[in-house]
Amino acid sequence: MKASDEELVALVVATRDNDAFGELVRRHQGLIRGMMARMSRNRALAEDLAQDAFIRAFEKIGSFTGAGSFKSWLCRIAYNEFLMAARKRKATDRAMDRFKGDVDDTEAPRDMGSVVDLDRALATLKEDERTVIVLCFSCGMSHSEAAETTGMPLGTVKSHVNRGREKLKAFFETAEAVA
Amino acid sequence: MTMNDAFDERLRAAFAAAQPGEDEADAFVKKVKARMSHPVRRRAIILGGAGSTGSAIAGTQLEGLFNTFQIPAEGWTAQLAAIASPEVMATTVLALMIGGFAFILPKRI
Repeated sequence: MKASDEELVALVVATRDNDAFGELVRRHQGLIRGMMARMSRNRALAEDLAQDAFIRAFEKIGSFTGAGSFKSWLCRIAYNEFLMAARKRKATDRAMDRFKGDVDDTEAPRDMGSVVDLDRALATLKEDERTVIVLCFSCGMSHSEAAETTGMPLGTVKSHVNRGREKLKAFFETAEAVA
Repeated sequence: MTMNDAFDERLRAAFAAAQPGEDEADAFVKKVKARMSHPVRRRAIILGGAGSTGSAIAGTQLEGLFNTFQIPAEGWTAQLAAIASPEVMATTVLALMIGGFAFILPKRI
């Protein structure tokens, strides 16, 4: 029978078992790499940040209390890694502006499922809107979890999600009307 | 299902579809595991090196330190003092320090 995330975490905490942690990485790598790619909008940077996030998770795995899901805990660590990386580039805004120019435009737009279209749609959002949209729709966090992760008030998170979702909806409706 | 629910589902599906494929998972896991083992090795080398250097420096000073003590002794303490020369005491303390490092280091990494 396949071990649950929590069982693997317990094994890693008890024995520092690299293989058990490797299995956790395998299970969640798509989520974290995708999340970093959507947030940083730079594939190479996203790969590095995703690796950093897993290394940090390995170092801090003893602090996982099991109060929430491992996935949410991991997303929180990944978000913090993203923030730290952005701060290292002096200011998040400047970093985001730089990342904006790095969107891979070589793939032809297909539909809403297309990575390029999704990234283009996300580019229309403000940074905070994009962050909470990614946390809620990519990581599956609740509004409360996103508020706790980002340090934003719950009401702010809700309004960012609503505004962001409306902008994305308008983007895809326009794109579909043109197509 | 409301219009918003339907759009939310489409959005979740879009994010899921935009995640990197499973075919790249093995390579990514390998990279992470390689990075996981390197800091441990580096830390062991740094801590071990620092500990050994500290022990060696302390060990060279201990003999002189033990030479300064003049404890009046008679009976079995006098016999013990004859065996426990400054060199022996310095070696014992050094051995204890190295043993301590050997005991603590695996627990810390």
